[in-house]
Amino acid sequence: MTDQITFPDVVSLAVPLFIAAILAELFWIHFKGRGGRYETRDAMTSLIMGAGNVASGILLGFIAYGFFMVLWQVTPLDLGTAWWVIALCFVLDDLRYYWVHLFGHRIRWVWASHVNHHSSQHYNLTTALRQTWTGTFTFMMVVRAPLILLGFHPAMVLFVGGLNLIYQFWIHTEAIGKLPRWVEAVMNTPSHHRVHHGRNPRYLDSNYAGVFIVWDRLFGTFVPEQEDEKVDYGLVHNIGTFNPLRVAFHEWAAIWRDVTRPGLTVGQRIRYAVMPPGWSHDGSRSMSDGIKARHLARHPEAAGTPGFETAAPQPSPSARTSA
Amino acid sequence: MPLAVMLPLVVVGIAGIVGLLHLLGYTGGFRMATGDDARAAWLRQFPEDTVTGAVPCSTGSAALVDTGRGPGLVWAFGADSVCRMLDGGRARITRHGLRIRFPDFNAPSVTLAMPPDEAAAWAARINEKRP
Ligand SMILES: [Zn+2]
Ligand SMILES: [Zn+2]
Repeated sequence: MTDQITFPDVVSLAVPLFIAAILAELFWIHFKGRGGRYETRDAMTSLIMGAGNVASGILLGFIAYGFFMVLWQVTPLDLGTAWWVIALCFVLDDLRYYWVHLFGHRIRWVWASHVNHHSSQHYNLTTALRQTWTGTFTFMMVVRAPLILLGFHPAMVLFVGGLNLIYQFWIHTEAIGKLPRWVEAVMNTPSHHRVHHGRNPRYLDSNYAGVFIVWDRLFGTFVPEQEDEKVDYGLVHNIGTFNPLRVAFHEWAAIWRDVTRPGLTVGQRIRYAVMPPGWSHDGSRSMSDGIKARHLARHPEAAGTPGFETAAPQPSPSARTSA
Repeated sequence: MPLAVMLPLVVVGIAGIVGLLHLLGYTGGFRMATGDDARAAWLRQFPEDTVTGAVPCSTGSAALVDTGRGPGLVWAFGADSVCRMLDGGRARITRHGLRIRFPDFNAPSVTLAMPPDEAAAWAARINEKRP
């Protein structure tokens, strides 16, 4: 077993690059008068969330790494560190990212961690750094277990995961339109990821890709950016705070409030934590399928168009608010 | 990267970007000049609502909105806006205007600058007992 393997800590090495790219995007927008929007407090909150994400990794990273090292002791497989093993690891870890990201939107417990990445109404390079502080508590590290059991060294898995995050940084921009067709076909791009950050009913629950958009095409979650429908960035219910602590913990607080409500069965309490965001025991809130269906009831002409392929119109407006 | 390099880089980087944004005039900026602006801001957040009335305050930084579900508040949030229903919202008159608190972890309060007579009228409307 090769335990003494070191890979560079790519995310921290990329910090100067992040700062330089943000300044470049800002000057581009400022002098061209197009290509995106910035707001001081919004950007400050995003940047502090990014710094806090790195800090939480330093403080809590040992939990995931310890779990991976246990798996590494258990597995009889060791694929070594040949370049093609690293490349394969990168691709498979990107598939892992797709599923973790999908769970991040469809299981409220995981959403509580991921929601803050979507909590800005802006979409610029600082939004990329608006990252979770509570990822460890989602237990999504278990999705990486198969990779390690297959013989990819934990350090390598974390290394390619870091590269994945760095790749996703530059796609958080409105300054880049659509790229050449083959790039848009294979890679996650600014256009595809803008859609992912949209609160428009059409764009909900789409484009979970990290690096390769092919996963969304394969699993049926791909929605292309529409010329005639500008992305409205943010949450279905936008938050009204720039306080990083509130941004980091607001959905955990909301889960706590729901789970501890008087008069619920144990099953209902559990479902408040594990069902998709917007689930409620009395149907008083909306999940994304309900939001899409009621949008179709108001705009029947949208039926069958991208993002509405499977949703059926449903006019009942009894359930329309979710906290 | 050692922490002794990383930490100053992050602190200076964040402070520099934030300072630059402020100097370039990117702080705040959302205003509602008319009832139609307020109505549009509300419907962006809640497209299923019917808005029967919308009145911005004199500075344009917030508006009281009447909807089919009851009264709500839309207010400037940086370069954008945020909306909340007013059930549970409580207004208190302050030296410079009004402070409205919501029983909401992710939108706990709003501070609005407004002249005393306007603040009194808004506080009365917001704190009105509703069925
Ligand atoms: Zn997401
Ligand atoms: Zn993103």
